[in-house]
Amino acid sequence: MGRDNGTRRWDALNPGGVAVLLAAACLWEVFVRADVANIQFLPAPSEIAVAARQAVMDGELLGRIVHTVGVTLLGWGAASIVGFGLGLVLGLSNTAYRYSMTSFEVTRAIPPITFVPAALLIFGFSLRMELVLVIFGGVWPVLVNTIGGVHSVPSELRDVSTMLRLNRWETVRKIVMPAALPEVVVGLRLALSLCLVLAIVAEIVGNPEGIGNGLIRARQALQPALMFVYVIVAGLLGVVLNALFRRAVRLLLPNGTVHEERSW
Amino acid sequence: MVMAVKRPQRNNRATNGRWFDVLAGLSPLVVLLTVWELVGSPDSPFYPAPSAWWPALFTRGQGEDIIPAIIDTSRTFGVGLVLATVVGVAVGVGVGASERTDRALGPMFEFARALPPAAIVPVATLLLGFDETMKVAVVVLAAVWPIMLNTRTGVRSIDPVLLDMARSLKLSRAHTVGKVLLPAVSPAILLGVRVATPVALVITLLVEYLTGVSGVGALVGDAQRTFQPARVYALIVIAGLISLAVNSLVRSLEQRVRRRHAGGGR
Amino acid sequence: MSFECRSVSAEVGKSGAARIVLDDVSFHVAKGEFVSIMGRSGAGKTTLLRVLAGLQQPASGSIVQFEGRNVDGPPDGVGLVFQDYTSALLPWRTVAANVALPLEATVTNPERRARVEATLEMVGLADRADDRPPQLSGGMQQRVQLARALASRPSALLMDEPFGALDALTKSDLEDELLALAATTATTVVFVTHDIDEAVYLSDRVLVVAGEPAHVAADIAVDCPRPRTQIRTRESPEFLAVRSRVHEVIFGTR
Repeated sequence: MGRDNGTRRWDALNPGGVAVLLAAACLWEVFVRADVANIQFLPAPSEIAVAARQAVMDGELLGRIVHTVGVTLLGWGAASIVGFGLGLVLGLSNTAYRYSMTSFEVTRAIPPITFVPAALLIFGFSLRMELVLVIFGGVWPVLVNTIGGVHSVPSELRDVSTMLRLNRWETVRKIVMPAALPEVVVGLRLALSLCLVLAIVAEIVGNPEGIGNGLIRARQALQPALMFVYVIVAGLLGVVLNALFRRAVRLLLPNGTVHEERSW
Repeated sequence: MVMAVKRPQRNNRATNGRWFDVLAGLSPLVVLLTVWELVGSPDSPFYPAPSAWWPALFTRGQGEDIIPAIIDTSRTFGVGLVLATVVGVAVGVGVGASERTDRALGPMFEFARALPPAAIVPVATLLLGFDETMKVAVVVLAAVWPIMLNTRTGVRSIDPVLLDMARSLKLSRAHTVGKVLLPAVSPAILLGVRVATPVALVITLLVEYLTGVSGVGALVGDAQRTFQPARVYALIVIAGLISLAVNSLVRSLEQRVRRRHAGGGR
Repeated sequence: MSFECRSVSAEVGKSGAARIVLDDVSFHVAKGEFVSIMGRSGAGKTTLLRVLAGLQQPASGSIVQFEGRNVDGPPDGVGLVFQDYTSALLPWRTVAANVALPLEATVTNPERRARVEATLEMVGLADRADDRPPQLSGGMQQRVQLARALASRPSALLMDEPFGALDALTKSDLEDELLALAATTATTVVFVTHDIDEAVYLSDRVLVVAGEPAHVAADIAVDCPRPRTQIRTRESPEFLAVRSRVHEVIFGTR
């Protein structure tokens, strides 16, 4: 989510920013209580806080979070393996690449969201539908970035492997994979965010579990404060998962392979 | 955002070679569709054969819904993207030009940016109802971020010499902004718009699907709920085509501006 | 009198971490004179030029005047040429449009076009009017900057190491072109450089700026005859004498 320097700079020593945030919250509170614009159903921050507390104490919130995160991680894992494997093959084999790339570009252009209805038709309201969607959507960033990473391996390195008389498998393992790694990592990170969003969408539409479903239930019960709680939790989950991912990358790959792909 | 794949540098292809690649690359899709056609039957509840897709658009007299739906989707997408650009550029310039404003508004923006648009949709329908305004609002909320961030970066990376130059030529404030600053920032802005475009389109379709208000997404949702799988697939293809068209349009626009700035051939 | 500086001091950097770059600098530049400001990189020459250009406020107590009036913001009749031509020209405008930029607010269309044509003619770029700056070589881009500065018919030109990024051959060409232009238009020129040879070759006087904070370490008159030529002048005893003196001042002062 492009927050490396931003996080450090904005968290540390930013009383002004925090103050503005709090001021905005207070303004919101006043706005609702004074019923200025007459937006029905707009909850005040205080109500959201109360609803949050309630949801936590009920234990319902936690259960839903566990479901959503579980599906996300499971799906993301599967998508990563498939995407990486397929990406390696397509990246390494020129022929395979030539004879398939346009297809992938075309399918990629179709937003994963549009596959939700197809998934619903085929798998119905089930956990399977959610998983299928998450995996199908998550494969693309990993696939594309793996291919990109493999292609970006400098030709000099390939000469090195010839000189060292490495066989095909060793070349891949010792030279191609490490060189492609930074871009693969970016793909994995993008896929993670995407998987979370797809899981939530699937829960909103089809699978009666998790955060998405909690959101819909709250809506049906006309409980806007609780809805806001779920929205905020969804946002927090994204941030936390992203941060955990970066932490893991930093620990497992200490050579500074996290490089920014974002627009910042 | 997923990045474009680089082709391997060691292959120099002539232009006709490129065309061959593009067509050859379609083989898996062609194979898949052919197999599907042969194996599936038009009545399959899950996997109707591709040949059944196009006709399915017109069954039960639903054919006349298609064009209006495409227009609706385009309108929401277009208005949303334009508004997102206006807001994104305005805020991006403000935040890029003033370090203090940047730090002050930062946490608030980070918080808002983290909220997934999909989750915002149900809230939006509750607060704003089921109409065009709600659709556009959600699209703007989602698409404004890449534009704002890129504008911010663009403003920050304006070469200070340009500002000195404008001052030394005694250009008025309006002229400095209009003739020097805005053109200097426009590649960054266009990059932001290019990144925001697929986002805006996806969110438009998502909102339509989730709320059924209008547009292609709503048609898809309708087809799905009434168990018309062939129609669903046909509409997915349409959505994909719209997506391809829009993306390539924005990309070529961005390239044109980029070329103007690079001066072309030196 | 073109420029007049008395007890000029200037700071650089944000308040709190400001560094006094110029201290008690005093000198003057007569009308039509070509004066070089010489010194090591970082000595404060650019700051001094920016103060003259009205782009930077000097410390209080400083007196900076152009043609008798206090300088407060970029004065009318002063043109500025930057070292970094890629950033100082607008790549999305043609050469002609770049030169026209300062005239757009003040001069009407037909007059504007005439002036742009004339100035481009002066710098020898009339045939490149419709190209864009990135298509031109470095030397040509600098000439475009020069043309833009001359288009407003200034009485003085301030130039900040304009030929610093160019190769030696282009440099000598442009030096001579500049001399010719300055003579024809009778423009006062204040020329910042770190190149001793260039400073002596071009100028009537060389101001050496040195020390930390910087002050005027020497004000040396160059009594080589005009018009100057690259070979003859640079071999002349007068040139060599001035050159040594400047050298002494710079390398003698730490």
